[in-house]
Amino acid sequence: MNLRSPSVAMLWELWRVTRAEIAWKLALPVGAGLTALALAATFGPAGNPKAYEDVNDLAAALALILIVIPHWPGWMSMAWLTGGQPGFSLRLSYTRPVRTAWLVGLPMAYLTAVSAGIYLVSAMVLRMASGYAFPLLPVAGWMAALTVVFIAAAWSTRNMAIQVVVGIVAIVRALGLSINRLTAVELPDTFDWPPRLWPTLFDWPRTDYVWIALIGLVAFAVTVAGVTRQRRGDALVTRFWTLGGGLWDRLVGLFGLPCPTSSATRAQLWFDLKSRGVPVLTIGVVLASVIVLVSAVSGPIDAAWNADPNVACPIQECFWVRSFPPMVTPIMLVTILFLGVNAFGIRRKQGRTYVSAFEATNAHGTAQLAVLKILAQSVCVLAAFSAIGVGVWISMPLLGDGLFIQMWGVPLNSRRSVITNAFAALTGYEQLALTIVAAAGVVMAVAAFAVFGALRARYSRRASVASVLLVLYGLAFVWLAVAVRMDPATAARLHLDVVYGVMRWLATAAMVITIVYVVWNGFAEHVLTIRYASGAVAISAAFGAAWLTVLHITGVQLAGMSAMNAIWTVSPALLPLTVSVLAPWSYSRIRHT
Amino acid sequence: MGQIVDVNDLSRSFGGKIALDGVSFRATAGQVYGLVGANGAGKTTLLKHLLGLLRAATGSVRVFGLDPVRDPVGVLSRIGYLSEERELPEWMRIDELMAYTRAFHPTWDASYARELIETFGLDPSKKVKELSKGMRAQAGLVAVCAHRPELLILDEPSSGLDAVVRRDILDAIVRTVVDDGRTVIFSSHLLEEVERMSDHVTMLHGGRVTLSGALDDVRHSYQRSRVRFVQHFDQPPVLESALAMEGGGRTWSVVHSGSLEQFHHSVLALGGEVVESRDATLEEIFLARAGRSRQPVEAA
Repeated sequence: MNLRSPSVAMLWELWRVTRAEIAWKLALPVGAGLTALALAATFGPAGNPKAYEDVNDLAAALALILIVIPHWPGWMSMAWLTGGQPGFSLRLSYTRPVRTAWLVGLPMAYLTAVSAGIYLVSAMVLRMASGYAFPLLPVAGWMAALTVVFIAAAWSTRNMAIQVVVGIVAIVRALGLSINRLTAVELPDTFDWPPRLWPTLFDWPRTDYVWIALIGLVAFAVTVAGVTRQRRGDALVTRFWTLGGGLWDRLVGLFGLPCPTSSATRAQLWFDLKSRGVPVLTIGVVLASVIVLVSAVSGPIDAAWNADPNVACPIQECFWVRSFPPMVTPIMLVTILFLGVNAFGIRRKQGRTYVSAFEATNAHGTAQLAVLKILAQSVCVLAAFSAIGVGVWISMPLLGDGLFIQMWGVPLNSRRSVITNAFAALTGYEQLALTIVAAAGVVMAVAAFAVFGALRARYSRRASVASVLLVLYGLAFVWLAVAVRMDPATAARLHLDVVYGVMRWLATAAMVITIVYVVWNGFAEHVLTIRYASGAVAISAAFGAAWLTVLHITGVQLAGMSAMNAIWTVSPALLPLTVSVLAPWSYSRIRHT
Repeated sequence: MGQIVDVNDLSRSFGGKIALDGVSFRATAGQVYGLVGANGAGKTTLLKHLLGLLRAATGSVRVFGLDPVRDPVGVLSRIGYLSEERELPEWMRIDELMAYTRAFHPTWDASYARELIETFGLDPSKKVKELSKGMRAQAGLVAVCAHRPELLILDEPSSGLDAVVRRDILDAIVRTVVDDGRTVIFSSHLLEEVERMSDHVTMLHGGRVTLSGALDDVRHSYQRSRVRFVQHFDQPPVLESALAMEGGGRTWSVVHSGSLEQFHHSVLALGGEVVESRDATLEEIFLARAGRSRQPVEAA
């Protein structure tokens, strides 16, 4: 390869780093958008032109959202270069004979152009496929502006707090601008920005481009200044959030639990709890406390801001602190799950993913080590979830019903007694079954992410392709399920019910084949033992019994079902067995590469 | 002497690059084995196979008669390993590191650990992230030595250590291990260090073992001779058993193996004479085997 200039070399490097992300940022949203449009066109109520148009309009709006959303998390492949540590991603380039402005400007321009380009290509594909006037330059321009702001926030400082604040402000501002412009005129009987109005609604003033250029210039200047300081080593090093230091490190050191020396298992448990589990739990407890505190002060604040703390003014025109706890709770739960996904402690640095030799060379059996890590992490994630759940539960009486009836038509606080009564009406065994299924769900989620992380570290390309295929399979599956349920006649006419049935068989068969292959391979490689496999089967049987009980509670009767439906309904009982054989097997792939 | 390590015809490649190509290596108890080779020769790859961090693609690896991939507990509980990257958990304090390591090894010698910590001048309350590169190496060394492992594997142990620690303490640790009848395998690119510490040397080049044997035998079987010819040579003359030649014109320095007598005959046949001969140093042997001293230089 002949890279003729530093700029060409830098562009080649950027392409190598980002090409996988470019591929999925293009493929997934376009695929999902096309699926939405195709399903709406196929299953829309053709007999009612108005309703048919509405369904298709809604699908087009969803497709537009789908091609915009992937740009919001920024460029993850760049962040991974430094293992998530804040600051300039290409810091290995500091030693190159290139001026800082160029070192920053070229990657910034590349990433911005690629972001806008991905959007433009996606929008044009959807335009050609559907005939809808998906907006091009106006949205691409603002997408570029948002990208440049994210990059400036990520690169110009090593203070994660500033990055988070700038990111939130940028997203809120962009959302506000979009909502303001797209919902300016209220339309009767449909949403305010149907595709037929897009040419008008997205005909944004020319001054927007001046603003976008100004944002780009300011972001560039700020980033160059910040990176210059980092390059000469005098930047403020405040690592607030990184997994190697800062807040996370403080959380790790928060509890001075002494390391037990009585057994290797206890020491390993201490290691996994302290390094990964307890910080997640601590964050969960802090978030739960925040929910309770905000709920406690929300009443007086709402009363101070608004004339009547209950329903004195329309929702859109008032600011209600009380709405925050229930709205941020799902985000908190997702955050906790996200923080708990790396149960195996896989590290990522400069494009290399690996498990530390320090952990891999401990005298522990692979299966035992994998299970210990997953259990330690799951217990902490579960405890964090429980803490948040308790926080919400305690907060509900403080929030009251009025606001939520007005917002969502749901008397949130009164639902507490409904839930309590429903749970109390169950027998002890049913309550236990429900608890087992919920807890096992969390453990399986943690284990599934750990397994995926291990396989991705070991078989990067194959695992990425497989995961994209799985996501596409899942999307198609969900859409087919909805379609078959909503309009069985059309589905039967297009033989989609047959496709759906085949896909269900395939999913069940894939699960069984995976179990058989991994068990066979695991025994051949001495990763699994008879004792371990017996334990996994026993746990899966317990889960299976609990699952059947939960099906019974929810009124699902297997008796009248077809064989396929019955097998499909019971098949989740196989999930614990699947993850419990996959976990040690996948860990052995990264421990013994 | 009991066989500790038995590697047979081991091959491994990463992508298209062959890292190990039919490597065989044996180690017995009570000996120090030095692995030498250029960067990318396969030293670390071989050591990682002994630890079970890499699976043998072809061939077999046995440590204490066990497969380290299939029986990691049986193998790793008897090994102390210091990695080249000195990967230690950043958040741990040194005393926590010792306690944690101790839990895996019932043979942990607390007084020896304390002694080593004091010798190195390490503060047990300090976190790993606060340590310099050399101090990390020292902390790692204490953690891997204090349980008195039957097999100590050190990957580039000198990296980051100052000259005093390297010469006095590392040597002393290795000697202590060997005097107890245990085994040390270490890799290094410091040939003087390998020469000083090893009983056996194995030289790797391009994933193959190019030389292996007891250090004394190796040194005695290679000589460096200074030869003078009547005739002027622009290119190195062809001499039997010569591995590398430096010099030019009439005077050449030759690293050669095999019988000295045969070499004398070979020189005589070209109208020359051997001015002086001595055992070659490991560095000279390494450079000769790695084929890096073929370029003619100014005559001495």
